[in-house]
Amino acid sequence: MSRKIELMAPAGGFDALQAAIDNGADSVYFGVDQLNMRARATMNFTLGDLEEIAERCSTKGVKTYLTLNTIIYDHDLSIVKTVINRVKEAGISAVIASDQAVIGYARSQNVEVHISTQLNVTNVETVRFYSLFADVMVLSRELSLRQIKSICDEVKKENICGPNGKPVEIEVFAHGALCMAVSGKCYLSLHTQNSSANRGACNQNCRKQYKVIDLEDGHELEIDNEYIMSPKDLCTIDFLDELIESGISVLKIEGRGRAPEYVATVIKCYREAIDAVNDGTYTKEKVAVWMSRLETVYNRGFWGGYYLGQQLGEWTNKSGSSATQKKVYIGKGEHYFPKPKIGQFKLESHSLKIGDKILVTGPTTGVIETEVTSLMADDKEVDEAFKGQEITLPIEKMIRASDRLYKLVDVQP
Amino acid sequence: MYSPNQRVVISHHRKRCIGCNYCVEFAPERWRMSKKDGKVTLLGAEEKKGVYTTRVTEEEYDNNAKAAHACPMNIIHIKVL
Repeated sequence: MSRKIELMAPAGGFDALQAAIDNGADSVYFGVDQLNMRARATMNFTLGDLEEIAERCSTKGVKTYLTLNTIIYDHDLSIVKTVINRVKEAGISAVIASDQAVIGYARSQNVEVHISTQLNVTNVETVRFYSLFADVMVLSRELSLRQIKSICDEVKKENICGPNGKPVEIEVFAHGALCMAVSGKCYLSLHTQNSSANRGACNQNCRKQYKVIDLEDGHELEIDNEYIMSPKDLCTIDFLDELIESGISVLKIEGRGRAPEYVATVIKCYREAIDAVNDGTYTKEKVAVWMSRLETVYNRGFWGGYYLGQQLGEWTNKSGSSATQKKVYIGKGEHYFPKPKIGQFKLESHSLKIGDKILVTGPTTGVIETEVTSLMADDKEVDEAFKGQEITLPIEKMIRASDRLYKLVDVQP
Repeated sequence: MYSPNQRVVISHHRKRCIGCNYCVEFAPERWRMSKKDGKVTLLGAEEKKGVYTTRVTEEEYDNNAKAAHACPMNIIHIKVL
């Protein structure tokens, strides 16, 4: 088993982008401004960032995909062209598209096209259709492993090739949030708040609690499972060997709205898992370790999605995250002394002591996770430092003034 | 610069616009989609710290109130002086 599997990471900002590169992603996907499925995210990149993204990634051999995958109206057509022209100029590897306007214009400009989950590819004839335009397609998240395998087998057997002349690469989601509806076909947010999920403005109605009211007598019934519409998050690391075996080429990690340390942890785990599957060292023991590491970052509880053929979704039983760890902001970076490998921070909140786990994130730094082994506060060696103090501590990687310092705290279940 | 009968103040936090077009549908005389960046422009407005503001007569109140209500990002605000 030595087929190259591409691990694709989400990047909502430069910090997550750097975390993806540093932790072994083969490619990253990201949005600019509003025409992408995370239009609400305040941290989206702008068109002016494309050169830096391409530069940072290409030097590390990481491919770059720009998401331009909302539904498109006439009034968007001009900005669509502008974005695609900029993709070409800046040397971004491909666009992820769903609207035919985007697919058509990108092809006319010889920009590589990948098919978005918004198009819900669920059968091989649809793959054949889009192969006229696209080299990579993500399959619908609602397929089973058997269905995925059958599509991959057909692509191979019938040699269905994309515009680049090579067999179409099949991509699947490996980890992250799932929709209650077939992905991209949900109108809840549009109906309640005019806020179209299909324009990237989903208000996540499904993640809330609801009651049923009997209109005849006004009785309110609380629904047994309180979050009846909120699925748990997809996690495939415990059957990644089977998922890879189905013949897919690309594993996509969901989460452009999530924090940089989420990207760092999830990408690192899946990188190790893919490599383990490849060299025959994928074991239950390793899976257990990866699972507990994945549980430390944002999650709504895990399940295997529809891949293993569950009849119905598994619903989360709480609002928000079930992560076993949370981060607490405690200060900002000030200076790095490269020779002794010492980082200097200003402690703006809470306290920090030897043995604490810390997290440093920043647009250039990406993500550093480490433990405090020794500590100085206001030039004196201490066991614990407090708000307002200037602290220094040993840290292997360079930190910067643009970095934020967090303490990682265990969350009691 | 505004006449006394322009008592309706409309403001728009343009940066957060996602270009959904609702405001243009409701008040096409006051909003236009920009071809440059795909966000909507509040016609006749002046910008201050990212917020675009203009004053209009009460005739325009209803349409723009609908636009403000429909805006999924809640970035259109309307008030009467």
